[in-house]
Amino acid sequence: MRQEEMVTPGEVLGKATEVKAGKGTYVAKHNGFVYASLTGLLRTVSPPPESPDQRPTVEVTGHKAHGAVPEPGSVVIARITKVMARMASADIMCVGPKSVREKFTGTIRQQDVRATEIDKVDMHLSFRPGDIVRALVLSLGDARAYFLSTAKNELGVVSAESAAGGTMVPISWMEMQCPLTGQIEQRKVAKNES
Amino acid sequence: MEYVSPEGLRLDGRRPVEMRQLRAEIGVVAKADGSAMFEMGNTKVIAAVYGPREVQNRSQQITDQALVRCEYSMANFSTGDRMRKPKGDRRSTEISLVIRQTMEACILTNLMPRSQIDIFVQVLQADGGTRSACINAATLALADAGIPMHDIVTSCSAGYLNSIPLLDLNYVEDSAGGPDVTVGILPTLDKVTLLQMDAKLPTDTFEDVMQLATEGCKAVANYIREVKTSFFCLIVIWDLCYNYC
Repeated sequence: MRQEEMVTPGEVLGKATEVKAGKGTYVAKHNGFVYASLTGLLRTVSPPPESPDQRPTVEVTGHKAHGAVPEPGSVVIARITKVMARMASADIMCVGPKSVREKFTGTIRQQDVRATEIDKVDMHLSFRPGDIVRALVLSLGDARAYFLSTAKNELGVVSAESAAGGTMVPISWMEMQCPLTGQIEQRKVAKNES
Repeated sequence: MEYVSPEGLRLDGRRPVEMRQLRAEIGVVAKADGSAMFEMGNTKVIAAVYGPREVQNRSQQITDQALVRCEYSMANFSTGDRMRKPKGDRRSTEISLVIRQTMEACILTNLMPRSQIDIFVQVLQADGGTRSACINAATLALADAGIPMHDIVTSCSAGYLNSIPLLDLNYVEDSAGGPDVTVGILPTLDKVTLLQMDAKLPTDTFEDVMQLATEGCKAVANYIREVKTSFFCLIVIWDLCYNYC
């Protein structure tokens, strides 16, 4: 259901007992009304027929598209910036298909690099600075960085440059080869969906 | 000096309960996340909002809500005589604090933890009521930036000269030395977020003056909602055209 109505913050959209507050709206605790919190188009979404809560959801879509923010469980593309003995730092550049407006920092810990033999992981044989990796966001992490994981077949290094400067070709889940020199370098490689 | 003539007209020809002409424009600063220009008669201010973005000073980060910062400055050319110190003086610091507290009360800060929202307000022409114009401009700029708010905040000032409550004082009336009541409200929720007065007033007169200022705020609110709706319609139409071409 779609209604083309423009609302501004503070406009009453309904009672909390009759409608559910979606994005761009909030419920005032003292009187139980649902108000808009953004300027934008009001949309009423009818509930799925099987759900126990049969209230329609009202949401307000603003016109400014905010940049994406990593959420736990989302797959992100990041560039490795630092590799240390027990962890690697990465700059998150894309969340899903959308690129971010300002960069976020992520950390891949030694135990999150792969699923098997996690105590025998050598960080320098898994990542190098400058590699592009696909990772899963585990949690919001500490004040400095999100926690990322590459412990799945389809997660890991997607693109890397060899020491000679060529873009390497993946050979197996542990190795990539440089097309210019033929040299094999070790990385935790992501499996391509084929 | 006579601020209200025997016919009931003020120095600029307005009636005591008449506001000055309002004009607003959204999106005047291209680089900012949200911006607006607001004019109340000859008073003209620009507000720019940056955020929500990562906190620049880690020690000030708040874990469960957003940090709101505000800076008020007057351009050198905004007053009659060229101003020597545009910001950093006591009046600017006080007004920055007042605007910050007012806007912080209406932003849903707990939706954006560990982030920072910067509001910069600059007065281009000062003719009385700069505080109110700044708050109105900041509201429009926050709405343009898409920052979730409880309600819009509108502000207006009122005074009491020649025993008559006057709405929306200009600079001459403000410098007369009479009381100046500035009110900021959330119009739909009918709550007061700012109430300031200088000089003294007896309590019952104060109630009349505050009531007048509150009605002025509601008039500003109607104008602001109209501006936002028409501006937003324009954006939607522009988007549709852009996507179809």
